[in-house]
Amino acid sequence: MPILTLSWTVPLIGALLLLLVGNADGRRDNLVRWIALGVSLLTGVVTLILWAAFDGASADFQFVERHEWIPAFGIEYFVGVDGISLLLVVLTGFLTPIALLSSWGSVKKKVKEFSIFILALEAAMVGVFISLDLFLFYMFWDAMLIPMYFLIGIWGYDRRVYAAIKFMLYTMAGSVLMLVAILGLAYLHNVSTGSYSFDIEKLSTLEIGPQTQMWFFLAFTLAFAIKVPLFPFHTWLPDAHVQAPTAGSVILAGVLLKMGTYGLLRFSFPLFPIAATYFAPALALLAVIGIVYGALVAMVQPDMKKLVAYSSVSHLGFVVLGICAMNAQGVQGAVYQMLAHGVSTGGLFLIVGMLSDRRHTRLISAFGGLKAPMPRLTAAFLIITLASIGLPGLNGFVGEFLIMVGAFRWYPQMVVVAGLGVILSAVYMLWMFQRVFFGDVVHEENAGLADLQPREWAAVLPLLAAALVMGIFPTLFLRPTEASVNRLVQRVQVSQTLRAGNVDVP
Amino acid sequence: MTLNSGMPLAIELALFALAVAVLLKGIIGRAGQDPRATESAESVGRAQRGSGSGTGWMTLFGLLAVFVLTFFAEEGTSILRGSFVQDGLALFAKRLFLASAAISVLGSLTMRQYAFSRRSAEYHFAIVVSVLGMSILASARELVLLFLAFELMSIPLFLMTGFLKREAVASEAALKFFLVGTASSAVIVYGMSFIYGATGSTALEAIPAGLADGNPLVQLGMVLLLAGLGFKIAAFPFHMWAPDTYEAASTPFVAWLSVAPKAAGFVALIRLYVQGMGDSMLAWIPALAALAGITIITGNLMAIPQRNIKRLLAYSGIAHIGYMLIGLAAFSSSGIAMLLFYLVAYMFGNMGAFLVIETVSRSEQSDGIDAYKGLAQRSPLLALSMLVFLLSLGGIPFVAGFWAKLFVFWAAIERGLYGLVFLGAVLTVVALYYYLVVAQRMYIDAPERQEPVRIPGLLATAIAICMLGVVGMGVYPAPWVEMAQRVAATLFV
Repeated sequence: MPILTLSWTVPLIGALLLLLVGNADGRRDNLVRWIALGVSLLTGVVTLILWAAFDGASADFQFVERHEWIPAFGIEYFVGVDGISLLLVVLTGFLTPIALLSSWGSVKKKVKEFSIFILALEAAMVGVFISLDLFLFYMFWDAMLIPMYFLIGIWGYDRRVYAAIKFMLYTMAGSVLMLVAILGLAYLHNVSTGSYSFDIEKLSTLEIGPQTQMWFFLAFTLAFAIKVPLFPFHTWLPDAHVQAPTAGSVILAGVLLKMGTYGLLRFSFPLFPIAATYFAPALALLAVIGIVYGALVAMVQPDMKKLVAYSSVSHLGFVVLGICAMNAQGVQGAVYQMLAHGVSTGGLFLIVGMLSDRRHTRLISAFGGLKAPMPRLTAAFLIITLASIGLPGLNGFVGEFLIMVGAFRWYPQMVVVAGLGVILSAVYMLWMFQRVFFGDVVHEENAGLADLQPREWAAVLPLLAAALVMGIFPTLFLRPTEASVNRLVQRVQVSQTLRAGNVDVP
Repeated sequence: MTLNSGMPLAIELALFALAVAVLLKGIIGRAGQDPRATESAESVGRAQRGSGSGTGWMTLFGLLAVFVLTFFAEEGTSILRGSFVQDGLALFAKRLFLASAAISVLGSLTMRQYAFSRRSAEYHFAIVVSVLGMSILASARELVLLFLAFELMSIPLFLMTGFLKREAVASEAALKFFLVGTASSAVIVYGMSFIYGATGSTALEAIPAGLADGNPLVQLGMVLLLAGLGFKIAAFPFHMWAPDTYEAASTPFVAWLSVAPKAAGFVALIRLYVQGMGDSMLAWIPALAALAGITIITGNLMAIPQRNIKRLLAYSGIAHIGYMLIGLAAFSSSGIAMLLFYLVAYMFGNMGAFLVIETVSRSEQSDGIDAYKGLAQRSPLLALSMLVFLLSLGGIPFVAGFWAKLFVFWAAIERGLYGLVFLGAVLTVVALYYYLVVAQRMYIDAPERQEPVRIPGLLATAIAICMLGVVGMGVYPAPWVEMAQRVAATLFV
């Protein structure tokens, strides 16, 4: 059974089905919501089946499907997952239903279009993670921008159009350069073997001169760095996050940003190992700057959503640091941190969204003493906050710890500075928590706020459970990635030593 | 079954017969009416029932019949000592002209203006004659025939631009178009005269020999020809006529005007510079690349401030011509193939967009982009089609335009034109911006009126055909690529 094809066509078909539901007057809003939720849950089940059937001991790509698409140019429909992409697909399948649940009460206009765009987005995101043909990857990567543009632009807050266009143009600018590099790579393959191919396995065995590698690496990495976002390419993120509706923020932070780090891991490093060696310290430096800078800026934000957005810049800096280390601990930590960040930041955006739905403001100063009227929400938020800080026993700890262990071998000074970022994250998160939930209720309208509703429980509980499970049983998530990560690391290292031996790295 | 080799002119003869038939039907239909009938509702109604839509349907089915006929034509024949060839390129171009003309006629069948019902025969006669000119042009391999075909194609276009003769803007646009068009024709003839003077022959085969002799007059002639053809395809700096003409002329006609005559111009360019010049074209690559680059920049930057959707598409069309010129500048079999692929993708995307514009402008009486506010709420399917057409023009994956842009880039990389590809790629982001401005009007802004836009059935059919083309080519482009490659390969033997 072509299960990987199912994993992205199920949401796509769901989106097309929704197109046929007549809902001009909004009377069938609930039907539309249920269909969308059902489709996304079905997709979630498909991804779980993938996980269950996945052989963690093998480092090979599994569930591979391969068909010719445009034979004249060697473009194929070629999909498969290894340990790294498997968990990201699972994360996508996990977060999409939560995003839909979170918007159940808050999205009231154009519900049908909203559900269609979310499902289309899910299809494209899954497509990005399962593509093994570089070209197919690029198509999904680009196609994903359109639904996200509309999600921010239509259902966002006041400055939504500005944020949507900024998001779109930033990402496009990076990705067209990547497209040129992709074409260049295929051309090189043609020169050396006589045929075009976008198969990443074949392309990674290609002999590319160090000078050319530099250019290709930069073009790819720029696209990914914008997506991550790596300092100083992060300026689109606060706008997009703050203006996006809750569901958009959850998906943006939870999955979209991981496409950048995934791209670094899957393409930039393995395809251009020499250039990667050369640029890794610089990338690591930018990552560390991002960790500290993101944390410092988050600390002074008056707006909760902006605070969480900047905390993402900080947390994803860790992921990039781990990737730059390019050893088993660093990369495993990076993969783990991607998942952990998806769960905890998704949760943070979710709860901030709930507060903002109730009070129509996201300013920290508008709240205070919320633990009295809403004890359950406070408890949930506390768990997620602690998870985000990296408290041992919750999901944030394992990843950051592994990353620092891995990076210490190469960049001890940087790791020391990055450690500062961990402390800062505790400062800004707990400080926000204190200002919002502790103390007295200073604004009267906060006294009567409703606690978590059943539907909100349904969205929050899976995230809390995931944070606990990931913290207590990390091996459950580390084991499937182990073989794949080892193979990737070995490959990059071998080609680095092999090629560095006979060429001078400028 | 193929037409026997004595009949390579069958397509042109059929078109000529169709033109005569349309004209006769118009005259006979008109004879029954009171020639002094005024613009009363009754006479309009009668005209529509009578000759008005009658000639339209006749033209439509005639064009479709000729389109089918092209598949029976024998490839590789030539007559008049090689002046008129029926090769792969000619047949490909003829199918493109006929298909686009048929879509345009389908879109204009329901036009309500008085002039279209009353003078419908003139309108359709002009279209068929212009297609006839294009069709001859596609086969011409001789300078005089090329020029005559160009004129046969262009003169009806001037006429159709000014078809609504009582409207001042239409007359103004027609006059501009006419002046620019005839000036460019003069430049072309002037260039041809140098070539003839230097080589003593009007056959295209004489050009490489003349160039090989190093005769500067042939070079000059070729430069002048390039300038003249630049006018026809609206490349920079000869693009100024396009926005004014597009704005004033009737939209279904503009849909066709923006595609078919430009395709004809490219066929002429391919004949003259690829087939005609042979390898001496290699020296021209930098010049063509520069022309492509400047055209892309101008078109895209000028499109940004436009507030009239037809002007916006006119400038974006100029940018697309630039992208097609990349394919020509690559000067390779794959470059030409990708240019041909681009033309087909552009035909579906651009014509589709213009047909949506026609629908909206009939209902809103406006071509401003503000007329698209909240279209997604009023007519979701219409807005979705427009979005798909714009995304195709913008080059987003899974629709035709993405492959088109990609393939010309590809051909240029093979030729080593990295700078041009870089420039083209960066400017697609600019293009995306102004397409998104329209998308924003349709999907994000609130509508000023609630009632849905009325979509006439025939227009809906034409839009659906374009939609099918755009999505079909986007999801499975392989057969189109192979076809284009097969055609282009025959040019490089």
